[in-house]
Amino acid sequence: MSRRPFFRRPKSCPFSGDNAPKIDYKNVKLLQRFTSERGKIVPSRITAVSAKKQRELSTAIKRARNLALMPFLIN
Amino acid sequence: MPLYESVYIARPDISSTQVEALTADMTKIVEDNGGKVTKEEYWGLKSLAYRIKKNRKGHYSLLNIDAPPAALTEMERNMRIHEDILRYMSIRVDEHEEGPSAMMQSKSSRDDRDRDRDRGRGRDDDSGPEKTASPVPAPASAAAAAEVPAEPVISDDAPASDSKDTEE
Repeated sequence: MSRRPFFRRPKSCPFSGDNAPKIDYKNVKLLQRFTSERGKIVPSRITAVSAKKQRELSTAIKRARNLALMPFLIN
Repeated sequence: MPLYESVYIARPDISSTQVEALTADMTKIVEDNGGKVTKEEYWGLKSLAYRIKKNRKGHYSLLNIDAPPAALTEMERNMRIHEDILRYMSIRVDEHEEGPSAMMQSKSSRDDRDRDRDRGRGRDDDSGPEKTASPVPAPASAAAAAEVPAEPVISDDAPASDSKDTEE
């Protein structure tokens, strides 16, 4: 049986479930995984973060940016 | 009283003791206004992701505050006035996290790694030239001193004697 085209395996949110990491503006290493090479926030349809957690995540990234822990843009 | 987390970035020119004094000043302001600082963290001199007031680095400090809003506004007003503070951010949190923050954890692990790397590099730097300088020439000279007289003597003798034998 060949793989069905356009079939996507259901991905689960990386911030839900047991021992999921807590979204925190101080945890730059974690936040950096959800930004692109240019420093943009990666959309949740790619990272499979749930809508609620994506809102939390974007707030945390913006806080980290304000404190110069993360860049607004990378040239 | 609401709980706050406050992070400020101080100018890189000042020393870490001055940053501690600054933190003490801010703590005093909070306490004078009826609040208390439950935790202080000094993250150290970190490089900024972008330049702030032409500075590329800054001293980061975190304060966990349990204080009435008036105390926080008073502290923020003082931070705004203070020349050594490049930036500050205070946010209200539902609960203070216990133990060292993610920054301290990552920093300590990174420091360990850096220190290991530095130590490794330092060891290499220290031992590298020494190895190349002292042990390599010493055996070379010793070997040269030991082997050069021995080998040519034998080789000289052998061919010489052989040639002599064959000639004679």
